[in-house]
Amino acid sequence: MAHIHLEDGAFSPLWLLTWSAIAAILIAIALLANRRKEIPPRKIAIAAMCASVGFAVFMVEVPTPVGPVHMNFTPLIGILAGPGMGSLVALVINIFGAAIGHGGWGMVGPNSIVNIVEVVIGYYTFRLFKTKSRTGDFWSGFSATTIALTISAFLVVLIVSISEIQGSNLTRGETLNNMLILAVANVVAAVVEGIVTGYIVSFLGRVRPDLLLAEAASPPDKRISLVTSGGAPDG
Amino acid sequence: MARRSYSKHIPDFRYVTYFGETGRSAVHSMNPWTKIGLLFFVVALVTVVMDLYWLLLILALAIAFYAAGRLPLKVLFGWYTLPLFFVASLSILYIFTEPGKDLFRIQLLGIAVAITDSGVTLMATLLVRALAVVTFSLAVFMTTKYTHITIIASRVMPGTLANIFLLSYRFMFETSDEVSDVLDAMRSRGGNLAKGALRQTRMFAGIFGIAFVHAFDRAERIAKAMEARGYIGEFPVTEPLNKPTAGGYALIALGITSLALAAYSRYFDKGLFGW
Repeated sequence: MAHIHLEDGAFSPLWLLTWSAIAAILIAIALLANRRKEIPPRKIAIAAMCASVGFAVFMVEVPTPVGPVHMNFTPLIGILAGPGMGSLVALVINIFGAAIGHGGWGMVGPNSIVNIVEVVIGYYTFRLFKTKSRTGDFWSGFSATTIALTISAFLVVLIVSISEIQGSNLTRGETLNNMLILAVANVVAAVVEGIVTGYIVSFLGRVRPDLLLAEAASPPDKRISLVTSGGAPDG
Repeated sequence: MARRSYSKHIPDFRYVTYFGETGRSAVHSMNPWTKIGLLFFVVALVTVVMDLYWLLLILALAIAFYAAGRLPLKVLFGWYTLPLFFVASLSILYIFTEPGKDLFRIQLLGIAVAITDSGVTLMATLLVRALAVVTFSLAVFMTTKYTHITIIASRVMPGTLANIFLLSYRFMFETSDEVSDVLDAMRSRGGNLAKGALRQTRMFAGIFGIAFVHAFDRAERIAKAMEARGYIGEFPVTEPLNKPTAGGYALIALGITSLALAAYSRYFDKGLFGW
């Protein structure tokens, strides 16, 4: 797993409510960002398909030299759906995940904060590599994913260290030391997911280049108009 | 129904939904709002309750609820691997670092490593909490019809989020089948015998890439269909979903009472239940 998902009961009620409130604010920002203009059905459909593929792909074990890993593709979802829609997709995937024990129901908030950070950093890093430094598809995808997942691995460390595991008598400093070891393992998994994402991005760049950074490029609205352009209908 | 999942420890949504659609138990006939309400109380209770024995009782009740839905217990225990993995990955170091009485001590490269009683208790507590919620959550989803879940989602989520959730839930089954088909094709051609980590990684990346391309093609077709059918920003709900029955309200009241007592005991009177 390229990042950890927290299960129910790990945090005290106070910290659970705090992180859930922060997640709610992030989701509200994403919803407001998407509400500024009318959302075309295509955008909704693409976000939904990203969520269903993200969840379906998660069910597949990828064999690696360090053992089988599951991919979440949150940075890739950010690249494909954009930061606003991608954040909502991350929440939807977390809700599906909570239903089957991939992260707890009460932990949808903290887990979503981590995933939203992955989506947003994945999107902007990819955009930076692709447009500013003109890096190729593979390296842009690899770098964006590895950077996003590495940062999120340390974000998990930060969240758990601040909140502390309820029932534990360790200090915040001792919790931090424990979690840093876990973060190192997650960074290794982040590199594996980075390689896979790099190949997927280069594959998409060959077969559907219009999908990469489609959000940033603001493609023309493909909605079908039922009224013929060029004046009033005859008759 | 045959299971079709590429990981034995991850629940297959089609398999989960199959039980929700075809089951005939008392839990299946329970009102979906009541079940969702009870799920909320289970989550809240495992967060508030600190005592391992009370948590074990909640887990036992969750397993009893699951069994009352005539759902396969053997499959459930297989699915426990996923929460077990997450809990272990978070708390494995705590069994060595948590202050407490040593249960086992060895010398590794001149460093004393000890498993403490408090560390083991902490890990067990976290595990029981996670399993209680997973069991109850799976019981709810395996005893509730797809349509009812979509109605609840459309009522409780904001519009855009509900639309994404409903569409992805609707197409998750097809997407999952499609990924499975590609993996079947790969394995039937000896793809799983591919040597080398790089080749293996590229092969899986190709499969996932195809899944994304197909998903985008499907998204474009769906968008056109939505517009052709007069999509105005929401999916209409045509089937009614009744309110909970008197028995359902009684169960919810029981949940509220249990939560209030647990919170009172934790924060105001620690001797109330002995934790």
